[in-house]
Amino acid sequence: MEQLLERILATVEKPSRYVGGEWNSISKKWDQAEVKMAFAFPDVYEVGMSHLGMQILYKVVNDRPDALMERVFAPWVDMEEKMRAAGLPLFSLESRRSLAEFDVVGFTLQYEMSFTNILNMLDMAGIPMRSSDRKGDNPLVIAGGPCGFNPEPLAPFIDAFVLGEGEEVINAVLDVYLAQKQQQCSRRDTLSALAGVEGIYVPVFYQFEYKQDGTVKEFKSDSLVPTVVKKRVVADVNDVPFPTRPIVPHTDVVHDRMMLEVMRGCTRGCRFCQAGTIYRPVREKDPENLLAQAEELVRSTGWDEISLTSLSSSDYSGISEVISGLVDRHSSERINVALPSLRADAFSVELAKEVQRVRRSSLTFAPEAGTQRLRDVINKGVTEENLMEAVTSAFKAGWSSVKLYFMIGLPSETESDLEGIVSLARRVLEAGRNISRSKGRLRVTVSASSFVPKSHTPFQWEPQDSLIELQEKQRFLKQRIKGKGLTFNWHEGQVSMLEADLARGNRDLAPVLERAWALGCRFDGWSECFDFSKWEKAFECFGIKPGDYALRRYSHEDVLPWDHLDAGVSKKYLALEHKRALDGVPTVDCRGGKCPGCGICPSLEINTQLVGGKSVEPVQDLL
Amino acid sequence: MNLYRICYKKVGPMRYISHLDLLRTMERGSRRARLPLAFTQGFNPHPRISFAAPLPVGVQGEDEYMDLELESPMQAPVLVERLNTCLPYGLEILEAREVKGTAPSLMGMVEQATYVAVTIRPADINEKSLISSIKAFMEQQEVIIDKKTKKGTKAKDIRPGIVKLSGDSKEDRLFIYMTLKTGSRENVRPEEVLRALVKGYLPLNVEDFRITRTGLYAAGERTLFAGF
Repeated sequence: MEQLLERILATVEKPSRYVGGEWNSISKKWDQAEVKMAFAFPDVYEVGMSHLGMQILYKVVNDRPDALMERVFAPWVDMEEKMRAAGLPLFSLESRRSLAEFDVVGFTLQYEMSFTNILNMLDMAGIPMRSSDRKGDNPLVIAGGPCGFNPEPLAPFIDAFVLGEGEEVINAVLDVYLAQKQQQCSRRDTLSALAGVEGIYVPVFYQFEYKQDGTVKEFKSDSLVPTVVKKRVVADVNDVPFPTRPIVPHTDVVHDRMMLEVMRGCTRGCRFCQAGTIYRPVREKDPENLLAQAEELVRSTGWDEISLTSLSSSDYSGISEVISGLVDRHSSERINVALPSLRADAFSVELAKEVQRVRRSSLTFAPEAGTQRLRDVINKGVTEENLMEAVTSAFKAGWSSVKLYFMIGLPSETESDLEGIVSLARRVLEAGRNISRSKGRLRVTVSASSFVPKSHTPFQWEPQDSLIELQEKQRFLKQRIKGKGLTFNWHEGQVSMLEADLARGNRDLAPVLERAWALGCRFDGWSECFDFSKWEKAFECFGIKPGDYALRRYSHEDVLPWDHLDAGVSKKYLALEHKRALDGVPTVDCRGGKCPGCGICPSLEINTQLVGGKSVEPVQDLL
Repeated sequence: MNLYRICYKKVGPMRYISHLDLLRTMERGSRRARLPLAFTQGFNPHPRISFAAPLPVGVQGEDEYMDLELESPMQAPVLVERLNTCLPYGLEILEAREVKGTAPSLMGMVEQATYVAVTIRPADINEKSLISSIKAFMEQQEVIIDKKTKKGTKAKDIRPGIVKLSGDSKEDRLFIYMTLKTGSRENVRPEEVLRALVKGYLPLNVEDFRITRTGLYAAGERTLFAGF
């Protein structure tokens, strides 16, 4: 195998993707671990190694004396071709063993367009693709992550899904696995025992019959499993393992820096945002704890930049304290602080000014919609005035390029909302021309992604715009956002449509996925690999069309394909938010101390956790 | 000015990392070792680390050189020891010497390099036939290869850059030894020589060779530690 591999590595691009051996990677003795788990990331190394969740679970599992975790990523197309030709199975980076030799293989579900890669990786490892075909010595295949909240299109391929935060539940899964192994239980008994763990969803124990429109006609679950599976949350974020000795890649990865997670969750309540629901409630880490963790990160990695990560870092209560602490302690070592997610307001720009010694990079803001009316519909909580203040102070401080993120195809959008995007972009450029000292380098980049309705959001019932509408809107913007200093980017509408199909689909999409894979679909999130005609063929085989699920409007009375999976925010609340959206009524952020009654805290018996011990008294049942 | 010339090896899994990756890895290793790195001035400071000659991806190096500048002096053996505890498997510092006075830059000094390429010996080639193939190859007045450039391909004669070429066989292995011009004035890559050699002189696959750079030299075959 080694010689074969060496030959192959001499001929593929970026061979360092496949060799491992990075600083802080852990190679345990294979035979000394009672349970061997592989963390499988269904995309290339550079993307997978930028994922904090992987680093967290890698630590949690490898901290156990009785377990080991190794990593595997999707081989790029050139590597796949050569591995298949040479008969090499998909192998882990640490011990170069086939994925099929592990006890547990865990996939992370970060985005829908990686689903075909999951099937491909199973196939490359020689693991039967369908759960029902796996035998006693095949690995247990589990999956978790944001797309696990509607994993139905993947239901036949995955033995068990993990809902919610993984650092505690992973231990429960491994414990159950070990106990079953010692008693030499059957595969089905193991699955049954796993289904008894809170947060674990074992699809084989749930049967569905669907109506014509894809909603649920009849739903049956095995008597031994919960009818509704609730997500797992970590009660105290200061008290869970955090990887202060993360793996440092040799090669350039997407996020090539230390990641310090400052909080979990975001309560702004943007109505299109799934993360805002599935990571609730907000739990902030203590500033002292963060500074101590940063110290360890700096010592153990040698990276020169530390990123304060979360869904919305400028909302973190201790942000100023943490930033000044980091600057005090580490600026002499030339450690940069990065803020990945900025709110569109002057305060955030002040923070950015404080941390960025070099004003080369651009600042990014996400107004998401072009008019106040539509920003109220999505509950964005940002005004044009906020944005103009933010960009004005950015130009004053010396930044010469600004990126603006928008979404097109949001519910209730009209042409005047699109015109709003154009005029906002022009206003920002104008402000730059009036202030900026480097007028020649001035650049306003507008990115328009297409709205994808997602499960567990107030917009889960809403249809996506048709492909033709989306393309029309892109054209409208393309014609108007041009000229010196303006750049317009957009996403391929076909990809967004498939994303929406998979995000709101049901188990009937599983054979479509399988067929798409068989036709050669891989790396669908990569434009150089994406081939819509193959997807069309795959859908056609089963008498449906791409967009069938994306374009459906579900009603509040319908049982949705994911209603048995509970993210802790009540469906009643989501429906209320949906109504408020269409009425253009904003909803407050519970950080302010007033609970809007989303139901997360009572349902999971948990509290928000804010710096300084502040908490929000939840309304028991508002609805 | 606390300049150190460092000799290291880059072998095993580290042969797959690119030159840019190596720079990053050395910088991060130095930070982990808490060396007082000196940085360039200006808007975008980066550590003052420079290399003699980049290694092609996939080629090992047993006798590689870099210059490293520190803000405060350090005993060379201490530097070696500290850095070695913080480098990944496959990178190892062999020696460091403080550069007293002014030494010419590494990149400017390097003139040639020695390589060994090893492969499994097929049944139809023995030491004798290998040596005669190499002899015939070296008798050519010119060896034209197609070199990929940014603007397509361009013909290049690599014969003047091949200083020496020899070979032998031990057990079931074939070894090819090369001394090639390298550096800013003239530069021939070992893989280019092998590619030209297997085309018409030696029926083997270039992919099956494992290549190691065994030495880097200044003019007159002096070592890069020479002169200070």
